[in-house]
Amino acid sequence: MTKIILNGREVDVDPKQPLIHACHAHGADVPMYCYHPGLTPVGSCRICQVEVKQGEAPARVVVACRTPVAEGMIVETEAPRAHETRRECLEFLLKNHPLDCPICDKAGECDLQDYAFAEGQGEGRSNEPRRKLDKRKSLGEVIVLDEERCILCSRCVRFMEEIPKTPQLTIADLGSRSTISTFMDQPLRGNYQGNLADVCPVGALTLKQFRFQARVWNLKKSLSTCGECSRGCAISVEVLRNKDVKRFRPRYDPAVNQWWMCDSGRFSSARHNAEERLAPAARRGAQGLEICSVDEALAQAADTLRARANAVCIGSPFLTLEEAKAFAALCGTLGAKPAFVSPPATALKDELLNTGDPCPNRRGLLELGFEALEPAEAFARLAAAAVGVLAGERVIELQGRGELAALEGPRLICFDTHGLEGAGADVCVGIPEQVEKSGSWVNLDGHVGKLTIARAAPAGVEPLTRTLASLASLLATSGVAR
Amino acid sequence: MSTKYPTYLLDRAKIEGAHTLAVAQKHGAWEALRKILKDGIGFAQVIQLVKDSGLRGRGGAGFPTGMKWSFMPDPVKDPRPRYVAINADESEPGTCKDRVIMELDPHGFLEGALIAAYAMRAQVVYVYVRGEYRLPYKRVADAVAEARKAGLIGKNILGSDFSCEVYMHQGAGAYICGEETGLMESLEGKRGHPRPKPPFPAMFGLWGQPTTVNNVETVFNAPFIVLRGAEWFKSMGTKGSTGNLLVGVSGHVNKPGVYELPFGVSCREILEDVCGGMWKHKQLKSFFPGGSSTGVLPASLIDTPMEHDAIKNTGSMLGTAAMIVMDEDTCMVRAHEIVARFYEHESCGQCSQCREGTQWLHQIFQRIEHGHGRLEDIDMLVTLSKGMAPGKTICALSDAAAIPTLAVIKHFRGEFEEHVKLARCPFLPAGTQRPVFAGAH
Amino acid sequence: MALPARLVTEFTELLTHYPHKQAALIPALHRCQEELGGWISPQTMQDVATFLGLEPVEVYGVASFYPMFRLRPPGKHVVSVCHNISCALRGADEVLQQVCQITGAQPHGNSPDGRFTVNTVECQGACANAPMFDLDGVYHEDLTAEKVAKILGSVK
Repeated sequence: MTKIILNGREVDVDPKQPLIHACHAHGADVPMYCYHPGLTPVGSCRICQVEVKQGEAPARVVVACRTPVAEGMIVETEAPRAHETRRECLEFLLKNHPLDCPICDKAGECDLQDYAFAEGQGEGRSNEPRRKLDKRKSLGEVIVLDEERCILCSRCVRFMEEIPKTPQLTIADLGSRSTISTFMDQPLRGNYQGNLADVCPVGALTLKQFRFQARVWNLKKSLSTCGECSRGCAISVEVLRNKDVKRFRPRYDPAVNQWWMCDSGRFSSARHNAEERLAPAARRGAQGLEICSVDEALAQAADTLRARANAVCIGSPFLTLEEAKAFAALCGTLGAKPAFVSPPATALKDELLNTGDPCPNRRGLLELGFEALEPAEAFARLAAAAVGVLAGERVIELQGRGELAALEGPRLICFDTHGLEGAGADVCVGIPEQVEKSGSWVNLDGHVGKLTIARAAPAGVEPLTRTLASLASLLATSGVAR
Repeated sequence: MSTKYPTYLLDRAKIEGAHTLAVAQKHGAWEALRKILKDGIGFAQVIQLVKDSGLRGRGGAGFPTGMKWSFMPDPVKDPRPRYVAINADESEPGTCKDRVIMELDPHGFLEGALIAAYAMRAQVVYVYVRGEYRLPYKRVADAVAEARKAGLIGKNILGSDFSCEVYMHQGAGAYICGEETGLMESLEGKRGHPRPKPPFPAMFGLWGQPTTVNNVETVFNAPFIVLRGAEWFKSMGTKGSTGNLLVGVSGHVNKPGVYELPFGVSCREILEDVCGGMWKHKQLKSFFPGGSSTGVLPASLIDTPMEHDAIKNTGSMLGTAAMIVMDEDTCMVRAHEIVARFYEHESCGQCSQCREGTQWLHQIFQRIEHGHGRLEDIDMLVTLSKGMAPGKTICALSDAAAIPTLAVIKHFRGEFEEHVKLARCPFLPAGTQRPVFAGAH
Repeated sequence: MALPARLVTEFTELLTHYPHKQAALIPALHRCQEELGGWISPQTMQDVATFLGLEPVEVYGVASFYPMFRLRPPGKHVVSVCHNISCALRGADEVLQQVCQITGAQPHGNSPDGRFTVNTVECQGACANAPMFDLDGVYHEDLTAEKVAKILGSVK
């Protein structure tokens, strides 16, 4: 570690990181556009001005992202000269930048807007026309580019080169005519395009999925973990008015995903906005499946389980550790072995984040003693059983809704987000989705990823841990067929 | 052409056929390198000799050459491949001297480049020639071929341990590739984006390896210094600016041209004696001493000696000694609209102040010239220039746009005010307009 | 599509000049422009990219940076008129007007008959012999109205 004096305090800083990293690590608010801690620094935007003094040399104003730290360096991030140079730089950036804030998706989380509000001069002094460029240039299925908003920080170019390592963007032309471009307007490729909207410090690169969808200050943000594969990238689940999940965004986690996530994960947020949900429960009655309360559903489920032996219990790969423990306890009560559906590996596996394993909690479930079953094997066991208990979101879908519906042998008790119609469907209990529950998943490296409740489950729907425990306790009090 | 000063730079260049090895050698080319290798003059001695001579870079910055050469690391401690890159990108407006050397005395130039490589213990020299200079490129390339055949370039030069390759390389029309780190980026096959310094080229140059970039005219001096000594070199010029230099004079003079003169000759002497005075019997109004980046001086400063310190004291710079002369009928606003257009065109676009500032400056100059200026625009030009310089950007192009802006307003603010008051350019006949063409590219 | 064999041979030798292939890019693009229609087409960019082991977008970023590389097909002859300060002081405006009038092209454009492209360019290093233009890679300096007419008139 290297000792520097930052704003009058002696601090220990990482000598391998540029000065701006040290400033941020110790709470000094130095603005940045071209600098990103996950990318090679270029020092081009010139906004991160700080004053440094080393030894006898006079203090000078430098860009912190290209300044190595040195023992005994005296750094003043609030020096008037530093602020004045930043203010000048900002004025140059705002000369051509369009006044799009009222219609720009980035408003509220825009580094340019934030800094202009904090330290800008309030009134522009340019009497010149701004550059007129393409304001909605499609870069493929994921990203739309507004060339006028671009401040040529080149983060997007560097991201593509350095992270997925597929160069696809360049600065075209030069100087005041510079724009970001793909080759011959070809669409972007790959599973990491969404990160471009995160790295872009302004609203030049935005997600088509999120365009005009919400104002970011109206989004309730909850920390969670992505469930698309066993990497378990740290994410932020962002919900509008307790209803729609408007987007997933990656959260910085140095142990798992750094600053990034893949598009499969990012856009899986759409999965959580399905209209129809089973709420709160349903049970087979004289006329078929009827909506009922959870207690009524559990009572009937307990009757069914008492009446039939040889229960087969199949869990969803999305069970949290907490849900899995409750399910295992129920299995114990039933004399069944806990197992989970293990869908096949996907073709999405890459060198970066996506593991290609669609089970976010495989390691956690295996460590709890669950058996991983291919869907066909799990289905075969269910088909041969007298009664089957399926628990966890998407377990019905992963077994095949149509196939389950056609099963005539076993009575089926399902805990899932949607009910099951079919000959064998006896009880269905609605459960919270991934974004409606708190819990943990264990990723492929053993890292525990947390989920928190980002929106309330539909009315009447209770946590799966509770409904499973209730069912187990109903069975315990009255005995159960073995 | 005044003959009252001792010359050496263009003596051989003036001889017909001097671009060929046969003629060049007959008139002294390659003698210095032969001497170094035959007499076993060590690299350190060569560097010391150049240091002692006081030779300063001729590419515009005037950095002491011997000191620059000494920045290269010790190859025993740092065995990475090392390079010399010759900057033949010559694109500073007003500058046309390096092409004279390359066209007329390419062997003298190559010899200088080889001596530089020898001194810096480099094995490869790249000659980066601006793309438009087809004849200079061809002359140097032909000279390389002749020299290689004669054992003067390549492995074991003249039977010595010194091996050095020379490769030609073209630029493609970008002024910013005359900046040493922009040149290196371009040579590596990339966009010519200058690099932040530190690290400096001697530690992190071409492909991250030790490199020194030198101007054509700078290395061209080396053989003469080797043959005739440091004391001889210092006998010409001034204490702080030794030797002769090639002064390029353009604009409103009777005899524009490239002239060999010692440092310290006054700009008046250059104008009146060497260049035959102002054209068409006009009065001098102003002049750029060393290319458009240096900023104008008014006619009252015409007695300034053409040498580094004297010009610096006027607030301008020697730059490339490209003297651009403007007569009484020249509109200073129009002249600087052109200069501002140039910097806007050439900015690589990395730094916010330069990318936006060069455009902003140009737009304001245009408005004032076309009669749509306001008084506050003049102060805005000053404000913007102060935001663009000094030293706020990765390279000095931002400064190169700001400095002439500040200079012209300092010396000719009245002309700007007149444009605003009249709502047109007073140097244009009433009722006429300047044609407006967008910048090239 | 690929680069013609004669260019591949040339570029293979060119690669020996540098420790990294990308350094051959700009000289290679010059040769492609000279040999393949006077401009750098998207196909050329792809072919050069393949040859050098680069992505086409990287070649595009480089080609679009440098003013000498044309990314649109030019006329049969290219006239580049310097309009920087030393030439402007010695009549570049008039030269440009005359060139446009004779060729029928406007700056940065092609003449309707496709014979000419006219460009304005920045300082070409002919300041002491201003005004000037570059016609098909050859400098014509110390221009007068007569010279301009003669030079352009004798172009085929």
